Amino acid sequence: MSSIPLEWYLMLAAVLFAIGAFGAFSRRNAVAILMGIELMLNAVNINLVAFWRYVEPQGLEGLMFAIFSITVAAAEAAVALALVLALYRTRDTINVEEIDLLKW
Amino acid sequence: MNTNVDWLQRSLAIGPELLLMLGGLVVLLVDMWLADDDHPLLPGLTGLFMVGALIWSFVPFIPGMGITPGTIYGMFALDNLTIFFRVFVLTSSLLVLALTTVYIKGRTEQTGEFYSLLLFITLSVILASAANNLIMIYLAFEFLSLTSYIMVGWLRDDVRSNEAAMKYLLYGAISSAVMLYGMSLLYGATGSTNIAEIAAVFANPRTEIVGIFNLGITAAVLMMVGFGFKVALVPFHQWSPDAYEGAPTPVTTFLSVGPKAAGFAIMIRVLTGALGAQTESWQAMLSAVAILTMVVGNLTALAQTDMKRLLAYSSIAQAGYILMGLVANNPADNFGIRAVLVYLLAYLFTNIGLFVSVIGFEQATGSTTIDDYRGLIRRSPFHAMAMVIFFLSLLGIPPTAGFLGKFLVFGAVINAELYFLAVVGMLTSVISAYYYLNVVRVMFFQGDEEDRPLRFAFPLQAVLVITLVGTLLMNLYPTPFLNLIGEPTNLVTQLFGQLPF
Amino acid sequence: METFIPSPQGIPWLSIVCVIAPLVSAIVTLFIPSGNDNAVKMWANVASFAIFLGTIFIWLFAGYDPNNPAYQLGEVAEWIPVLNVDYRVAIDGLSLPLVVLTGFLTWISIFYSTRVINYRVKEYFFLFLLLAVGMFGVFIALDYFLFYIFWEIGLVPMYFLIGIWGGARREYAAIKFFLYTLTGSVLMLLAILGIYWGTGSFNLVTLPGLMQNSEVFGANGNFLVKSLAFWAIFIAFAIKVPLFPFHTWLPDAHVEAPTAGSVILAGILLKLGGYGMIRILMPLFPDTFNAYWIPIAVLAVISIVYGALVAMAQWDLKKLIAYTSVNHMGYCMLGIAAAASTLDRGPELMESRAIALNGAVFQFIAHGLITGALFLLVGVIYERAHTRDIKQFGGLGAVLPIFYGFMAITTFASLGLPGLAGFVSEFMVFRGAFGVGLQAQPILAILTGIALLGIVFTAALFLWKVIQGLFLGTLNEKWANLPDMHAWEMISVVPLVVLFIFFGLYPAPILNLINQGVVKILGMMS
Repeated sequence: MSSIPLEWYLMLAAVLFAIGAFGAFSRRNAVAILMGIELMLNAVNINLVAFWRYVEPQGLEGLMFAIFSITVAAAEAAVALALVLALYRTRDTINVEEIDLLKW
Repeated sequence: MNTNVDWLQRSLAIGPELLLMLGGLVVLLVDMWLADDDHPLLPGLTGLFMVGALIWSFVPFIPGMGITPGTIYGMFALDNLTIFFRVFVLTSSLLVLALTTVYIKGRTEQTGEFYSLLLFITLSVILASAANNLIMIYLAFEFLSLTSYIMVGWLRDDVRSNEAAMKYLLYGAISSAVMLYGMSLLYGATGSTNIAEIAAVFANPRTEIVGIFNLGITAAVLMMVGFGFKVALVPFHQWSPDAYEGAPTPVTTFLSVGPKAAGFAIMIRVLTGALGAQTESWQAMLSAVAILTMVVGNLTALAQTDMKRLLAYSSIAQAGYILMGLVANNPADNFGIRAVLVYLLAYLFTNIGLFVSVIGFEQATGSTTIDDYRGLIRRSPFHAMAMVIFFLSLLGIPPTAGFLGKFLVFGAVINAELYFLAVVGMLTSVISAYYYLNVVRVMFFQGDEEDRPLRFAFPLQAVLVITLVGTLLMNLYPTPFLNLIGEPTNLVTQLFGQLPF
Repeated sequence: METFIPSPQGIPWLSIVCVIAPLVSAIVTLFIPSGNDNAVKMWANVASFAIFLGTIFIWLFAGYDPNNPAYQLGEVAEWIPVLNVDYRVAIDGLSLPLVVLTGFLTWISIFYSTRVINYRVKEYFFLFLLLAVGMFGVFIALDYFLFYIFWEIGLVPMYFLIGIWGGARREYAAIKFFLYTLTGSVLMLLAILGIYWGTGSFNLVTLPGLMQNSEVFGANGNFLVKSLAFWAIFIAFAIKVPLFPFHTWLPDAHVEAPTAGSVILAGILLKLGGYGMIRILMPLFPDTFNAYWIPIAVLAVISIVYGALVAMAQWDLKKLIAYTSVNHMGYCMLGIAAAASTLDRGPELMESRAIALNGAVFQFIAHGLITGALFLLVGVIYERAHTRDIKQFGGLGAVLPIFYGFMAITTFASLGLPGLAGFVSEFMVFRGAFGVGLQAQPILAILTGIALLGIVFTAALFLWKVIQGLFLGTLNEKWANLPDMHAWEMISVVPLVVLFIFFGLYPAPILNLINQGVVKILGMMS
């Protein structure tokens, strides 16, 4: 078995996830928020691969899950950037605090 | 067994899904070939594929087809729950399609793509409700999310539509990332992504992974963020009023029904299936969420002046009531789940009916402000009266579908002896009477000077009548609707028992 | 002995007269082309009179045996087998008089409205007939699920009647009425569900027995759960009665409602609550009711005294009468509490308990007739003067002699003058309550003594405020030329007056009927 214990990977993933979440919640630029979300998703991928390697190496589910999650993240980014573009065209801004027509 | 026959049977079993996927692609191609964006062939084809899928949904009931309940490659569960949600979402999509044909004219040029997306989003809801594997759940969930983001932002030149889509996407992406993190922990805790296998591990823990076994409940909490987002539970609901208000109204109609159904289907499978052994832990958490949802949803709705926003908060509150059924579910007879399904069906008729009225009014006057509904009883008596019945149904006053739903949900809650939850639910539903009746007040008690008649387009009339009949019939003659959900005595076997768990 | 006798030859008379006829009449109203207000009014009059005749038919000719305490003219049909819900209707001595009263007052109200309502006519009569479905339904339903559905159906039309045709603060009064009643109903719904899980049934015929044998609700059951269920249902009914302190919706609703709406509200809707107490709460929760009889009797006495005192402080004639309703329904509650105050103290108390409960049920009828007439008479003066402020009136006796006569006899009836229906019921309630009190429960005797004050206060307020304030003293010149009552107004009031005089002098036929039902209920309690 590898000398690096599973917990280290999990901690790395948790820290990455937290950084991503912090970025997603604190940034005002829509693109920066998306970057934070990407970071969160990649933290999950580390989790998945690490779990696959340590918990269930004979199966393939963890790897498949990670590959799917990378693909979905790409699709999500494509849709998100298209929306950002559309929004920029109509509003001339991608700052989420200025996007405030809808409110209670 | 002959592999070819096996392949054929599997295709038959997921025929509705294949048909929907094919339909989405065909409509796209036809749209490229047609010069006219408003060509009736587009909605016609879309409707044809939906009706085909709806009819095909009943194929498993035909004896001799060789289709038995089970899972396909462990990914797609074919059971009563799946069939219920197939029928459910196809019905709502057909109704929404009828609304779309009226609404979309002159608002956008990309009609073909819209119809194609409607087919795809229908497919995604079915996939989500049938998903039997965390990977499948995630994929279907994201499929649903991405299509709904695009549909919310469909009116490219409308600032509000764009803004709604952006907000929806940002909230959605964050919550689905959190959910995915939870799923990865669940995978780590059990070494599997299959719901049945996860349940087996929790029922019979493997010694070597006992250290991270407790991650299961953390995972449940994190996954609830994603599920809660999809069905708009407090505190993951902030996107919904904005998305409801900004989206094209037919999309709002679908959003209020389809993703909710998908979210509850996933919750039923994950919580009672995978995490069934830890019911106590998530039950407490979910009843707190349900209380919060009902209180916040109903109280915030009191202050609304826009019809679509009002309905958004009302649908948040309704999600709280539906959640109560899940919280109070008794695994012995699954009464709570049955109540959830009945409530969802009641909600389908009622909510779509209400949105038809809103769309009709919006088409005629261009407004969604509640005050503009003044004197609707004089301008269009039938619609005003229909809206009263829908509001009474949301409120749970007989003889309407909503009453049956509330009756069963609260029945489950009382049976589980969660009296506090029951009383909170009932008192918040009294609060909801205030804002529902406020609209009735505006429509009936005010606006004597209004007498310009309103005309509603034929498809809207038709949908209105269908939903109205459904709303009343579900209480006056509920047996066929209850049969769709399954005989109560053997519901367990029908829903879950015959699965290869 | 048979407790549930099906309708002879299986003809569903009750469904035809009490559910289908008003429902179909209401729907037909909607399809009369707009603009034909007179046709709508004609149709509503004909339909409601036919329904009233139908209730008489049920009473006298449909094969109902007044000397049999069983549920009669019964109909059962499977409805939701999954939940064990049936469509089950029947009548007995308790419900039959109320069914007839409902038919009668609905007809009177619609007749009176014909001349008064000229705004959104079609909707008005549609809602009125729909309201009749709900009221009839509550009285005939013997399945708790069905009962609840009819109970709620009655709520919605009244909301619209107050909100559309009401007075200045109609919107406020309408929503207040709705929210109060709904709060009670949803609590009752929870209790219904609890009962269902405890017994597996909604069948009100068998439920009393099932409740006794159930683990939770039986005599040795969980007292906390029983109390919760009891109070949930009690509050639902108490709001409707209305019992102090749940009465605050009533003055608003009465004052703002159109005249016919007030008549129905006072005449029938308030009785739904009292009827529910007797039909459902007493047989289903005998020991729980017994355990809590003191607080209930205290609330009843407070309603009696407080209602009378607050009525005395009013200068708005309609509000004054509304508060006397709180007072009068307090007598009903006192009678019910007295009947529930002892359970197993032997047959020597049975007579007094039966008298008290008979008095309470008779008070439903008497109050329905008397207060209905009072509200009609208030409507008469309001249509002329467009005010109900007593301070502005005076000396009307010379100007409106006929009106004076009607008003005088009705107020006398309301304050309980012997020879009129109100006296019979109040006397019976006091006789029964004193009887039980002196023999077994001294507290009840004291409470009844306090309640007698209510009689004194109502007498004072009717004589001082209504008779003196309206008819005696100096005439305000403004009213010198008021026309006296028209013939059609008299036609609406006379039947009520005749009936409350008749029942005051000869209550036996109604009392015999009621007694069959009451004795049966008391039998179920022991």
